[in-house]
Amino acid sequence: MKSFSKMVYPYVIWAMAMIVAPMLMLVLYAFTVKGNSVLTFQFTIDNFIRFFSDPVFPGVLWRSLKLAVITTVICIAVGYPSAYIIAKLKPNSQALMILLITLPTWINMLVRTYAWRGILGHLSMSGELKVYIGMLYNFLPFMILQIYTALSKIDPNLIVAAHDLGANNRETFRRVILPLSLPGVVSGITLVFLPAVSSFFIPKLLGGGQYVLIGNLIEDYFISTGDWNFGSAISLIMAIIILASMYFTRKLDRKVGEQEDD
Amino acid sequence: MNYRTFKKAGIAALVSVLAACSSGGSSSGGSEVEAVDAKEAYGCNVLNVYNWGEYVGEDVIPNFEKAFNAKVNYDMFDSNENMYTRLMGGSAYDILVPSDYMIERLLKENMLQKLDKDLLTNLDALDPDVVEMQKVYDPTLEYSVPYFHGSVGLIYNTQNVDPAEIEEKGWDILLDEKYKNRVIMYDSQRDAFMIAFKALGYSMNTSDDKEIQEAYEWLRKVHETVDPAYMTDEVIDTMINPSANNPKDIAVVYSGDAAYIMSENEDMDYVEPKQGTNIWSDGMVIPANANCAPLANEFINYVLTYDASYDNSITVGYTSSNLKVTEDISTGDYEGIDAYLPRTGYEKDEVFRFNEVLVQKLSDLWNKVKIN
Repeated sequence: MKSFSKMVYPYVIWAMAMIVAPMLMLVLYAFTVKGNSVLTFQFTIDNFIRFFSDPVFPGVLWRSLKLAVITTVICIAVGYPSAYIIAKLKPNSQALMILLITLPTWINMLVRTYAWRGILGHLSMSGELKVYIGMLYNFLPFMILQIYTALSKIDPNLIVAAHDLGANNRETFRRVILPLSLPGVVSGITLVFLPAVSSFFIPKLLGGGQYVLIGNLIEDYFISTGDWNFGSAISLIMAIIILASMYFTRKLDRKVGEQEDD
Repeated sequence: MNYRTFKKAGIAALVSVLAACSSGGSSSGGSEVEAVDAKEAYGCNVLNVYNWGEYVGEDVIPNFEKAFNAKVNYDMFDSNENMYTRLMGGSAYDILVPSDYMIERLLKENMLQKLDKDLLTNLDALDPDVVEMQKVYDPTLEYSVPYFHGSVGLIYNTQNVDPAEIEEKGWDILLDEKYKNRVIMYDSQRDAFMIAFKALGYSMNTSDDKEIQEAYEWLRKVHETVDPAYMTDEVIDTMINPSANNPKDIAVVYSGDAAYIMSENEDMDYVEPKQGTNIWSDGMVIPANANCAPLANEFINYVLTYDASYDNSITVGYTSSNLKVTEDISTGDYEGIDAYLPRTGYEKDEVFRFNEVLVQKLSDLWNKVKIN
């Protein structure tokens, strides 16, 4: 096995060049002023002061977080029952249902969102509602698949044993199935919340440009305005929020794991 | 359904039929260009072209490749700033087609090289009015050759908007509550603030904080009164095929897009508001770090030929800088479509200048306009 460990080097090099180095440059840009030459840097925290001193920017951040949280909650509310029902079906029907759910994800997300634009464009509803529909549509499969995987892994004997010990269906669900499926929910949250909070093309395409999110802001400052320093500062704030939420989800996951051991 | 693609296919078929009919033996470049083998003449035969999306005729590139035995790599951008960002990232191109103020900026930053007038034999074909505009951003006329030009204005549905009213109000019609949810604003800070400055009677090249603040408030008022949709290229399809439940009556558009929309939907008409607007022009330039500058000059010369200019203009809908082509198209295919011929010589119209201070000041404000 030891000889195989060398195979990790290509990935380490890749990660250094493509993930770590750009992140460091992002940090450098975020803390410097515009128009630095290659050799001299003028450090500043003005970019961050600019972000937090104007209520508009934290407002956009708050809106993005709200959109991501609501999307995740709806995904759980819709995804859990769907996954539960699928897991109860005969194995063949299960495979078919999972295929049907994964099928749309074979098509690029951008293309599917354009299709939704065609559909929703003809309806008179608020841009915000359209954005929510688009978000839910794009992220729901990830949630269903995670929960379904967790549910289908549960040993049926555990449920039989619960009934045997006198638990009715509700108690069995609450005390056996739900706790055992929570890791699936947690990884579903990771897969939905993180991309949702930074998504920018769904709101851009479906919100009619009237729905600015943090991802749109970053895009705007990098591309239209050419203010890479402020764009980097916003990205860094985003990255910190994402890291923090990953930390908390991981903690939640561990807590769930401990409960299982009890 | 993309109607433009469909139309393009039709034109391509027509052009190939015409080509087949024309007298045999002449090279595909036409009589105005002397075809040479690029590799033999210049030692390089690969040309990297960076142009706007949907901005070139169907056969221009293939015909150029044939005439010069060259290979063209064609990349597209959707905003001047996007293009500039890519250049900063170190990309090397032989031909760029930026707008006036961006050419001014590239010139200022020494990123362009002088064109080779010996190779540009077709400069006489240029519309003198367009050359006059060119002097604003390229005073010595040594660094650029005009490609397309046009104006910014309002396209409106004559079934629902009274032409007399929109002529009378100009940009201020965007503040009319009657058109709530029926307006499209162009989603670019430069164009949106241009409208506000013009509506308020200021110059679009101002750096005055008080005027900028007023313009911001004007745009906020538009945002609150008519709740416009903010779009860029999607305007074209939205105006050609109005949706039954959510039709838009008025949209901010570029004149070339307006000409195209009007050729597809006869209910639409175009107006250049009386308060003045932005008259713009896009030009071909050769970056200082071009790999194959002589061939790039040949390319510019080739685009100026009647055939190539005609193909470009008829396909895309923007006004050609080749005077003969503009005359023929405005009295031919696009007859009666006034958007094809943008207004010239109106004193309230202006050309954008490169003004980095203004861009910085507007960026935060424009996001604030759109945020509810």
